[in-house]
Amino acid sequence: MPSSPTTVAALRSLLATRFPERARAAVGAVPTEIRALDEALGGGLPGGRFTEIVSASPGTGGQTIIAQLLRATRRARQRMALIDGADGFAPEDVPPDHLRHLVWVRGRGAADAFSAADILLRDGNYSVVVLDVRGLSERALLKTPTTTWHRLRHATEAGAIAVLVLSTTPIVPAVPWRLVLRETVPLGARRTLRSALADAFSVEIVRGHTDAEKKSA
Amino acid sequence: MNYAVVLAPNFALQALRRSEAALANKPFAIVEGEGRNARVTEASEHAIGVEPGLAVTLAMSRCPGLLIRPRDPNAESEVMRVLLAAAFTLAPRVELTAEGCCTVNLQGADPIQTEKQMHACVAELARAGVGARLGAGANPLLAAYAARCAEPVLLVSNPAAFLAPLPLSFAEPSSVHADVLRGWGIKTLGQLTTLPKTEIGERLGTEGAQLWERAAGETIRVLRLIEPVRTFAADWVYEPPVESLEPLLFRMRRFAERVALELRGAGRVADNLALTLQLEDDTDHHREFRLPEPGANVDGWMRVLQAHLDTVKTEARVTGVRLVATPARPPERQDGLFDTALRDPVAFWENLARLAAIVGDDRVGTPVLLDTWQPDAVALTKPVNAVPAPEDDSIHPPRGLTFRRFRPAWPADVAIVDARPHAVEAVELHGIVRVARGPFHLSSTWWKSGAAWALEIWHVELASGATYQLSRTADGWCVEGVLD
Repeated sequence: MPSSPTTVAALRSLLATRFPERARAAVGAVPTEIRALDEALGGGLPGGRFTEIVSASPGTGGQTIIAQLLRATRRARQRMALIDGADGFAPEDVPPDHLRHLVWVRGRGAADAFSAADILLRDGNYSVVVLDVRGLSERALLKTPTTTWHRLRHATEAGAIAVLVLSTTPIVPAVPWRLVLRETVPLGARRTLRSALADAFSVEIVRGHTDAEKKSA
Repeated sequence: MNYAVVLAPNFALQALRRSEAALANKPFAIVEGEGRNARVTEASEHAIGVEPGLAVTLAMSRCPGLLIRPRDPNAESEVMRVLLAAAFTLAPRVELTAEGCCTVNLQGADPIQTEKQMHACVAELARAGVGARLGAGANPLLAAYAARCAEPVLLVSNPAAFLAPLPLSFAEPSSVHADVLRGWGIKTLGQLTTLPKTEIGERLGTEGAQLWERAAGETIRVLRLIEPVRTFAADWVYEPPVESLEPLLFRMRRFAERVALELRGAGRVADNLALTLQLEDDTDHHREFRLPEPGANVDGWMRVLQAHLDTVKTEARVTGVRLVATPARPPERQDGLFDTALRDPVAFWENLARLAAIVGDDRVGTPVLLDTWQPDAVALTKPVNAVPAPEDDSIHPPRGLTFRRFRPAWPADVAIVDARPHAVEAVELHGIVRVARGPFHLSSTWWKSGAAWALEIWHVELASGATYQLSRTADGWCVEGVLD
């Protein structure tokens, strides 16, 4: 039996011994080609982990993150699934070639979205699964049983899929990474290249640290 | 090895056990007759002490807990169809020889390949809930003898050595001949065939000579071939009607296994499943499932069907079910060197089918833009097995934020000042317009009466800082979405 932990590092070491599956490092990362995001996440969306991006208000760039992620995964020759809880994705605003590797699940509510996630998070054919719950009733989402998230997290940690949850308010309990987009992009930026616009996003890290940071702690 | 025989021992017992989940691992017996004349005709291996011919009361006293059942012609017919379907996976020339027995003409088949196929056939039947034995030999009779001795597959390459130790009863002598031969001290086929055939014929007559031929495995006959099935469907009734999922799925799997076997036997796969539940109130619940990847994998089918049935609530109990598979040619493809292939195609297609069962066939897939300027004109298509290499970046890369659509669009009241939107009022949105860009006019198909459409689009930045897309048609204004 190890002695009582006296430092954060010792506590982490103890937890890693007791719960080895929780201590498993992220399986690679999927670059988003959005500078601020990749820097914040230490290279991209971590594989085998949840990342939550809270788009606090409309116009802060949540949909552009999906579009950029489509571009990045297409270039990296990966497959991506979009679980579109409120059916808000507009394919006409994305180059057709960036849609060819996408499986779009047009949900009709939170129940559909979570059922779809339960299936897709176990499918090793995808590198990225985006669970977009913006537009769904916040009350219904906040009432989602913790066990549902726990089940989805377990499925994710057993594989290598990078899971991105897009929400309007923090909803994922004990998520490794939570970033918030707060700045609204004005209409005046409509002529700016989308990639340049995405690079200029500022994200606030509310929760999370890289595995390297964890080790150094 | 010119012929094979597929044999299901204890055919009637197997049929009952396969159709009724409650009989698994339980002692049960099949009876014939009524009242005092009721007699056991067959008993399961768990019915200790129960033998054919016993009176039912005696059988029940010997084996407490014994379940009594009459023969079930529907269940037997279903098992027979399973056997035939399995036989057709070996070769297309099949005879329905007897109850629980069919003979296959293998002439011209590759012997090594056939042996593998026979093992696969037995495994396939076991998965379908039918324990079977397969024997192969130079003629139908030898193949039948081999099937009776097989555990579970036996190929007879040396008939004389194989037949010699078999008991005389294999050649089915009449009771008179059996007594005579027993008196001569003959107990095996080998002992009979050491005697000259002509001498046997002189003493036991023509029947004796035929018995000798059967003992020598020399009987030749022509198979009465049957046609393979052309429709891949199963329907069955529930008596009494069912109201929970478990019994429904149990029998559905059994029938699906048979349909899948028939498809495989015909060299086909299913690309569509149609399920009809007949209800007690004389109504139907009908649903079609487009299988993203055509196949004959029962587990995949059942996942699709169960995902749908989990969500179904009927007004009345289910009295019958019909399952129809639409046959298609198995997919053939060759991927390119730089394509993004699937890591696990089976899981990919099965999961897509399960998703379709949850959200609907028309709500999952890869989006493809339609050749029109009409907004939101998009179709969902079946994802490809191998995604081709990405194209070079467009010379007109996308600019500005990405559009997020509200489906359905929000009806709105828009105040106009100086021919520009000044304020927006919708159920979930209201505010003063800070910046407005537009109008952008879109119209098409004006040359088709009734199909013409025209839109006026505006991009408006509200005081909150967010930019929304408004559209005006003849019906009024609405908020179509937000630039996000």
